[in-house]
Amino acid sequence: MNIKKQFKEGLITNNPVLVQLIGMCATMAITTTLFNGVGMGLSVLIILTCCNVAVSAIRKIIPNEIRLAIFVVIIAGFVTIVDLLLKAYIPALSDALGVFIPLIVVNCIIIGRAEAFCQKNTVGASFFDGIFQGLGYTLVLIVMCIFRELIGSGRFGGGLIDIANGFRLTMDGTGAGIQIFPETFGASIMTLPFGGFLTLGLLIAVMQYALKKSAKKQELKAQAEKEVDE
Amino acid sequence: MNKILKLTIVLFLVCAIVAGVLGVVNELTKDTIAEQQRIKTEKAYAAVLASDGYTEVDFDKAANPSIDKISECTNGAGHVVMTTFTGAQGRITMAVGVDTDYKCTGISIISHSETSGLGANAASSAEVGVNWRAQFVGEDKNVAITKAGGNIDALAGATITSRSVAEATAAAIVAVESLG
Repeated sequence: MNIKKQFKEGLITNNPVLVQLIGMCATMAITTTLFNGVGMGLSVLIILTCCNVAVSAIRKIIPNEIRLAIFVVIIAGFVTIVDLLLKAYIPALSDALGVFIPLIVVNCIIIGRAEAFCQKNTVGASFFDGIFQGLGYTLVLIVMCIFRELIGSGRFGGGLIDIANGFRLTMDGTGAGIQIFPETFGASIMTLPFGGFLTLGLLIAVMQYALKKSAKKQELKAQAEKEVDE
Repeated sequence: MNKILKLTIVLFLVCAIVAGVLGVVNELTKDTIAEQQRIKTEKAYAAVLASDGYTEVDFDKAANPSIDKISECTNGAGHVVMTTFTGAQGRITMAVGVDTDYKCTGISIISHSETSGLGANAASSAEVGVNWRAQFVGEDKNVAITKAGGNIDALAGATITSRSVAEATAAAIVAVESLG
């Protein structure tokens, strides 16, 4: 078990959205305000961690032929629990995310990690995989939300930050956020789904550039070391 | 044959355990959810037509199938109509305020499953949703979106949602008118 390596993989080198390119539908649909992004990210993190632990705990006793069916039942169970809890205790978030909370059932990050990681690894490793992959997902959502909200409506932290009654964080989605420039100057196209595609494309491109560059650097370093040896 | 039996039993057990857990969670949360729904409905009533109280009145359900409930304001301001209709993605529940001149005093969407960022803007508490719903204030039973010859600008990317909300508002006003 290598926590440091898993951390780096989840957040950067094997980021679920930017490198594995999974779970993109919700990513583009809900990243319009910081409130939505943080809420969705944390919901997925919790569900992913629970599912990872559950799948990994029973990985040796479930028959291979029906493993996918069992994974889906387990995932749907955890998603429904989170959906009910949100409805009861954070209704504003449940309203803002609407159908995208139940749709986490078919979010391929969760079944993808169950299939690719948890059924081959220990409970501990799967637990950290859930946390780090979830964090990687949340981080991408937050970056996209900040970018789209700023360009689209000139705001930062919509729904989450309330400055009308002193600076505070709201959990009921009523905070208006910080207006950086007047909303009329915003390119509202960025808040539409089109802007989601654009932002995600840009982020993936930046990520690929950075990964290629660091891979090249390592290659050069290895080569240099080899030459020194000779 | 034994193999199939084993698979069936395992899958059944997993489903039974998950269903059991869900049942417990549902039992624990259902009162809070109902309470949240009640607060939301109350807020929606007050937002569309303020009154110190509301009394439910009888109406012709057969002639107005989409109407759930009509309540009369005890302060004589008019009626609040609860209506459920089909939007672009699913059922929408909405409260419509109708004053004594049969003009809309406001609409408030209580539950919906429209697309986030498009149709969901109709119910949004952000500026886009508030401004959009404000268009309905003062409209009469001929309320319609501009595409259908009315005054309501449809939400960008959500014509179907906009149209169904306008039609439901019109139907609510007609239902109150028919009360006489």
